[in-house]
Amino acid sequence: MGEFRVSLRQASIAVLVLLAAMPALANEKAEPNPALSQYWEPIKQLMFGDRIINPDARDVIRVYLNVRADDASTVPVVVKAQMDQTEKEYIKSIYVIVERNPSPAAGVFHFTPQSGRAQVETRLRFEDYSFVRAVAEMNDGRLYMAQRWVKAAGGCSAPNGKKLSESLLGKMKLRFDDDAISYHKPNLVQLMIRHPNESPLAADFEAGQVPQFVRSVKVTFDGKPVMDAQVDFSISDNPNFRFFFTPEEKGELKIEVEDTHDRKFSHSVNISEGVPLPGG
Amino acid sequence: MKLSYAILSALCLAAASGVHAREPLPALAFDISEVAPGNYVHYGSFDERSPDNLGDNANIGFIVGEKCVLAVDTGGSLPVGLALREAIRRITVLPVCYVVLTHVHPDHFFGASAFLEDHPQFIAHQNYPAQLAARSRSYLNALKRDLGEAATGSDIVRPTLLVAGQLELDLGARKVLVQAWPPAHTDNDLTVLDESTRTLWLSDLLFVGHTPVIDGTITGFLAVMNDLRALAVEHFVPGHGRSDLAWPLPLDAQRRYFSVILNETRAAIRNRKTIQQATDEVGMSEADKWVAFDLFHRRNVTAAYAELEWE
Repeated sequence: MGEFRVSLRQASIAVLVLLAAMPALANEKAEPNPALSQYWEPIKQLMFGDRIINPDARDVIRVYLNVRADDASTVPVVVKAQMDQTEKEYIKSIYVIVERNPSPAAGVFHFTPQSGRAQVETRLRFEDYSFVRAVAEMNDGRLYMAQRWVKAAGGCSAPNGKKLSESLLGKMKLRFDDDAISYHKPNLVQLMIRHPNESPLAADFEAGQVPQFVRSVKVTFDGKPVMDAQVDFSISDNPNFRFFFTPEEKGELKIEVEDTHDRKFSHSVNISEGVPLPGG
Repeated sequence: MKLSYAILSALCLAAASGVHAREPLPALAFDISEVAPGNYVHYGSFDERSPDNLGDNANIGFIVGEKCVLAVDTGGSLPVGLALREAIRRITVLPVCYVVLTHVHPDHFFGASAFLEDHPQFIAHQNYPAQLAARSRSYLNALKRDLGEAATGSDIVRPTLLVAGQLELDLGARKVLVQAWPPAHTDNDLTVLDESTRTLWLSDLLFVGHTPVIDGTITGFLAVMNDLRALAVEHFVPGHGRSDLAWPLPLDAQRRYFSVILNETRAAIRNRKTIQQATDEVGMSEADKWVAFDLFHRRNVTAAYAELEWE
């Protein structure tokens, strides 16, 4: 995990520098051709090297969001698998990339065959009109990519609304989509985390200062992985994730969160079939 | 460059003819109305910012005392700011001593550089500088994207005088009260009250006809509206839309809009709707009551949802 953190930060800085060197390119209003985007190639090289990415992802993964984003600091996005997770064939990871953000890799979400469904819903910040790319990595290493063009600008540099008091920091809330949990089927859960998820562009950040944002979210059920994510400040403040988990019996759903200031937060609830759930 | 000057001179000419001859004005006219003695308003367009309207999208104006002039906002670009300055010149030779930056939105402040040579106090809310620092880069990029060459010269102007609470100014036989509000439309909203005519300049704490916008907090906005409603007001100037309805009718219309969003968003959260479902469903009964509803309403619901889901 420590190694990943360093490499993620270095990658972010590399891309930051890259984008800083080419200002004012992003002035077109119309949707460009996703295959010809000058932003994508360097990001692709940095994240996937020379690996082949299949641009026809229709049967694997789709991205849902509104073309005209309503609030650039809070743009809901849903990335949905178009296939079931089986032991034989499943989506191992979903990369969510906002290609014109200063740090484009918004999140990498890891799943298992037990995840039930590889689906993640979160809220993104947009610095400029941009493609959102979702790359699915299969268990055998194949890559598929879907994307959507979004008209939204100013989200990364839109400052955090209200100051968050220290006592609220890291506070979590879980909400469930149904009145009660059912075993043996995917249940949708919403995880809410109180955190400013600072963007280094948002305030008068001094050079060398590390912005505080959530960098990892780990969800387990009775110790078994449900979803594991590395995320970035392209995620809106008070990070919010919706995902599936499939319990086979009663147990503990546990969330562990770490931020860039090495703070650790955790939250857990005990789940059993038919019992009313917290939240809602 | 040539283009922007050509349009600029058209604006100035229009301002001149508008004030002196009161003739019908061309489409790009910079028209001003005296809503109360000494209080002059230019109504901005409801259209989206474009090279055609040069960012002339917010209501701006000025109050004339016996000693000097106070401008309330400066419009969405340097050409609009210059047109306002020219309009002031046609009315009075008195100096512009104050420019109030009512909040940190680009349709209101990008004309401020037109007034730099007058060396006024640029007055803003105490929270304004932090927000300006955070947003100016992306606001400048977006202005260039929307206006192209005409954005040239629309620079960021920093406030020189910050307000927390109230600030009373004397324009010469005319006292004006600048008031800083708690977070509502933004976290840096100012109003200006001309005490001699009881004319309240609300800027974006009031939208008339145009869909109101939340860039602060919906609960805060509703609370501030209650306080505004209690003020003794003879005339009012909204940030967008006309001043001709009777006070407080338009304030109540806006209050109804926000109450609908507040109640329906809370219900959506209670019923486990997602933020996307909420933005599709909440407040649709208001759709035909506001201009530019499609552009701003969903954004309001998004902001309300993200605020209210933690209640």
